Amino acid sequence: MSQGKLTRRGLMRGTALGAAAAAGAGALSACAPSAGGGSGGKKTLTIMAPENEFSPEFLKTAEETLDVKIKRVEVDTTKLTAMLASGTAPDLVRGLGAVETPYVVARDLALPLDDYFASSTLLKEDDIDPINDVWRYDGSVQGQGPRYGLAKDYSQDAMFWYNTALFDAAGVEYPSETEPTTYDQWLETGKELTKKDGDTTTVYGLSAGGLGLFLGLMNMTASGGGSLFAEDLASLDFSSPEGQKALTWYLDYARAKVGFSPIEPNPDGWDWPPYQTGRLAMSWSGYWFGGAIAAEAELAETSRLAPAPTMGADRVSPCFGATGYWIPKDSKNHDEAWQLFEWFMGGDPAKERAAGGWGMPSLLSLREDLPLGTAAQEQALGAVEAEADYFKVLPFTPYVKVEALDSVLNQYLPDAIKDGAGAGELADKLNADMNELLAEGKELVK
Amino acid sequence: MTATLPASRTAPPASPARPRKRGRAGTRTRTFYLFVGPWIAGFVLLTLFPLGYAFWMSLTNTDGLSPNWSYVGFDNYLKVFQDEQTIASLGRTGIFMLATVPTGVAAGLVMAVLLNRDFKGRAMFRALFYLPAVVPGVAAALTFKIIFDRNAGAANAVIGAAGGEPLSWLADPYVRFVLILMMLWGVGGSMIISLAALQDVPRELLEAAKVDGAGPAYSFFKITLPLLSPIIFFQVVTGVIGSLQIFVPSLLLAPVNGPAAVTAVPEGNYFFMVHVYAEYFAKSHFGYASALLWVLFLFVLLITGIVFKIGNKAVFYGGVDPTERKD
Repeated sequence: MSQGKLTRRGLMRGTALGAAAAAGAGALSACAPSAGGGSGGKKTLTIMAPENEFSPEFLKTAEETLDVKIKRVEVDTTKLTAMLASGTAPDLVRGLGAVETPYVVARDLALPLDDYFASSTLLKEDDIDPINDVWRYDGSVQGQGPRYGLAKDYSQDAMFWYNTALFDAAGVEYPSETEPTTYDQWLETGKELTKKDGDTTTVYGLSAGGLGLFLGLMNMTASGGGSLFAEDLASLDFSSPEGQKALTWYLDYARAKVGFSPIEPNPDGWDWPPYQTGRLAMSWSGYWFGGAIAAEAELAETSRLAPAPTMGADRVSPCFGATGYWIPKDSKNHDEAWQLFEWFMGGDPAKERAAGGWGMPSLLSLREDLPLGTAAQEQALGAVEAEADYFKVLPFTPYVKVEALDSVLNQYLPDAIKDGAGAGELADKLNADMNELLAEGKELVK
Repeated sequence: MTATLPASRTAPPASPARPRKRGRAGTRTRTFYLFVGPWIAGFVLLTLFPLGYAFWMSLTNTDGLSPNWSYVGFDNYLKVFQDEQTIASLGRTGIFMLATVPTGVAAGLVMAVLLNRDFKGRAMFRALFYLPAVVPGVAAALTFKIIFDRNAGAANAVIGAAGGEPLSWLADPYVRFVLILMMLWGVGGSMIISLAALQDVPRELLEAAKVDGAGPAYSFFKITLPLLSPIIFFQVVTGVIGSLQIFVPSLLLAPVNGPAAVTAVPEGNYFFMVHVYAEYFAKSHFGYASALLWVLFLFVLLITGIVFKIGNKAVFYGGVDPTERKD
């Protein structure tokens, strides 16, 4: 194997120039670097963000407030890859801090923001919720080192919501609002809550889909006192006692058909529709789920948020998303991008987001803006504040994306569930494929 | 005009005539390039360049973002034939093609023949049968997910009413049948093409056959079908190419929403292009996925070539029996 001398970036740049000459610069305006003056000498920022966070009206307000032009492109991995590779990086990119920070930093794509944070009047170090440590990475440990981004809001995603009305109907005792249940007890409760009408399920007791299979298993293993990843994050091991215990639990859960799994798919794709319609009693979702619950008067009175279950002695309540924004190193407008970032994370938009109740704010000072209008909102805030003590950064590998690990899980899980395979057998298959992916990824960033 | 023609024939080649001819030819050449230029530019930029770029990537181990990629020669191509998931997904795609293309074309043709008859409400039925073809794929997939939901879907309600047990339609092994049904639901597109072709069949030929004593079946198989064969062949070729590249409907039927669906597509619907997408954007194997695309490109070429070979022996171009063609 020979090291490539012609870089992809160089080739893309050359091609972009050739293409511009052939087709005219105007035709390629979408590929033009995001730098440059907009109309009237204003700089134009290109941001990769969804419309529900940067609506046309919101963009107008942002442009007037910050005196810049803003062009929004939809969040799209394909487009981001092409833009980064061709030297036309966006100025602000949406991302999942918990699982993407090591990946983008290891590839030297993200701009460290410590200097900006140090001089910020809106985002002060002592006001930043510790959960934002998932956006820090020092090259080997996630949670330490420079900050590369910030969550727009967050949840501790291993907590779960439950509908007391369905508990009452089944005559099942509510989970504690302060003490974590064990995973085994959680599954038993799920079985008791599951209602069948002949062969069809009318109420699922428990949905353990969470924010993805791998992250769920990673959390279970951590709460059992183990770790899926090795210390250097370059390999993982499902065959440890804690890893096998997590796999065994999931296999039992799926075989019991008390909730959605690869063999019992959720036709809606996420937990809200069945929860909303009283067909799901417990959803493995964090505080953010309360945003949807608040809009349903009945559910807002009967829903409660419970602490993250535990598999052993360790009480761990991590954050798997911390969805927020980062600034690419190759952006041509670092200062303007930071102004937008700072205003979005610490200005009026942050206050409005906090008041919406779709996630915990990244700034501790904004907690007072959280909604407390319903029983569920009030209880959930108390539960989250109590749970904060058990937050822990679960380091994610810089070598592969979480989707790669989820795709391996989905490759082997359906057969393992149906064939009655043991956790050990499944662990061996997962270890082999996932470690191969990790080794390949490490080759590319060493 | 008549006076000038002989004069120009008999006159010696006048020198001013040549520049005029070159001028005309030049204008025609320029006009030709002016018209085909945009297409050529589009072809080079949007087809040739991506093909070349994908080929170049297929010789590397790049993940699209990391700086330390290397050339790996043809390793990615060798891996294609050792990767069990690739082979299985390719086989699955082939079976899907064999299941959907003949069925779809035949169903479209049968519907076209039925709707080509004179009966009351014909226009309404034509519109009704064509309607599913214009329903966006996302809406169709959502509808099918609701119909085939294990607990609340209409499909299991029918099975239940007949005394059967509910099936997990959206999981393996049944989800492949849901996808095939979903594809056939849009058969109105094929129907409309066949219907248009049916209306082009010369009425006098059918009437002459009738006068000669031919029955409806004989007329259909000996006159109508041969005259429709170029259109049927067109549908087979485009159907084959489309089915080999099936991708979005698989994602839409997956139990996870959004791009992450690619990590949760049930095995039965895990086709070659789904595998390519997963290799690209879930596993970041840009080099290997590019090799997969080239393999698919060559596979599509091969299959299309075979279809053309068969088609040349069966299609009545211009109403001429292929066995009597001299070329």
